Amino acid sequence: MADQPVSRWKLALVIVAGLALGVGSAWHTMKRGGLRGAGSTGWHGNAVTGSVDADPWTRARVALTGLLALNKSQAIYFTTQTDDSGARLTERCRYRVSGGVMPARWWSVTVYADDDYLPQNEDDALSFDATEVQPDAQGQWTALVAGKPEPGQPWASSNKAGDYTLTLRLYNPAKTAQDDFGTIPLPKVTKLDCGGAA
Amino acid sequence: MNRAVNYALAFVAAIAVGHVGTILAAPRAIMQVALGKMSDGGTRLNQFSFGPRTTSHSRAVVRPSPDLAYSNCVYDLSQGPIRVSAAPSPDNGYVSLSVFDARTDNVGVFDSLQFPRGISFVLAKAGQQTPPGTPVVISPSNRGVILDRRLAPSADLFAKVDAARRADSCARL
Repeated sequence: MADQPVSRWKLALVIVAGLALGVGSAWHTMKRGGLRGAGSTGWHGNAVTGSVDADPWTRARVALTGLLALNKSQAIYFTTQTDDSGARLTERCRYRVSGGVMPARWWSVTVYADDDYLPQNEDDALSFDATEVQPDAQGQWTALVAGKPEPGQPWASSNKAGDYTLTLRLYNPAKTAQDDFGTIPLPKVTKLDCGGAA
Repeated sequence: MNRAVNYALAFVAAIAVGHVGTILAAPRAIMQVALGKMSDGGTRLNQFSFGPRTTSHSRAVVRPSPDLAYSNCVYDLSQGPIRVSAAPSPDNGYVSLSVFDARTDNVGVFDSLQFPRGISFVLAKAGQQTPPGTPVVISPSNRGVILDRRLAPSADLFAKVDAARRADSCARL
């Protein structure tokens, strides 16, 4: 059977559709590519964030979701969109965040809404940090991420956050942490209850 | 080769071009928009702007930290190198100056651990003459931004570091 000629119009349509799909897949990669959980905790960090050594996909992802991020010699960033059970973090639930001594001069945990900005609430409790937690003798601490605070607990508000992410920042990280992210004891994010339960 | 195969090849090639092209172009495009915002459309170059305390309404840059005070200097090296300096915060609180190029890469960073009495460096392009005795950061692009981050997790501390950072400087040599 003889070859049939390619229609220019159909070819143009195919190319436009392909380009659109390519742009869409790139956008999805930039928006969501960095949030695949690493290990059982769901926290994800990238050793080349902010670095001149970053691959094009990492650079594009950071540009969209964490523009002006520092390289690991100055700060290390981890983000999670799930609790320890793998369920999506949502403002409908309360979570206990717990951890130990962090290998850094200062650290913080911040709530970000799905648009990568801070949630639009007026609680003035968008994060908790190393200066707020009260470690026990072993250096263990806990904090609350929920719609309302509880007495005696550091609190980050999830009001108006929708389905959100938590970002852990470690500033002036220890050399061991810079060299091997696997040595960093990432906090646990444990769901307490949902739907306004006490 | 029949017509369907030609269409399929064109479709796959277009997906690849669209995907890779977007990934490669996005950082510069996003940075261009951010630099425009931070420099009032390119009218505030080589001078620091001191941002207000980060709140839930802050929208200048994605994922701002509510615990930090941010200042920025959008630089332009087309007329020559610039000298950048930052005064220390009260009680030797955390301060860093970080340099980002037009591709969003963090090409240089100094902090108050290294320089507790204040940070000072020269920012230049490769080949530009720089004075001896001062740390030099080479930017691959004419334009980019220098970010001053200071630890300020409370309103009281923000007021203190805000006063200190007013001594920051970013100007042509």
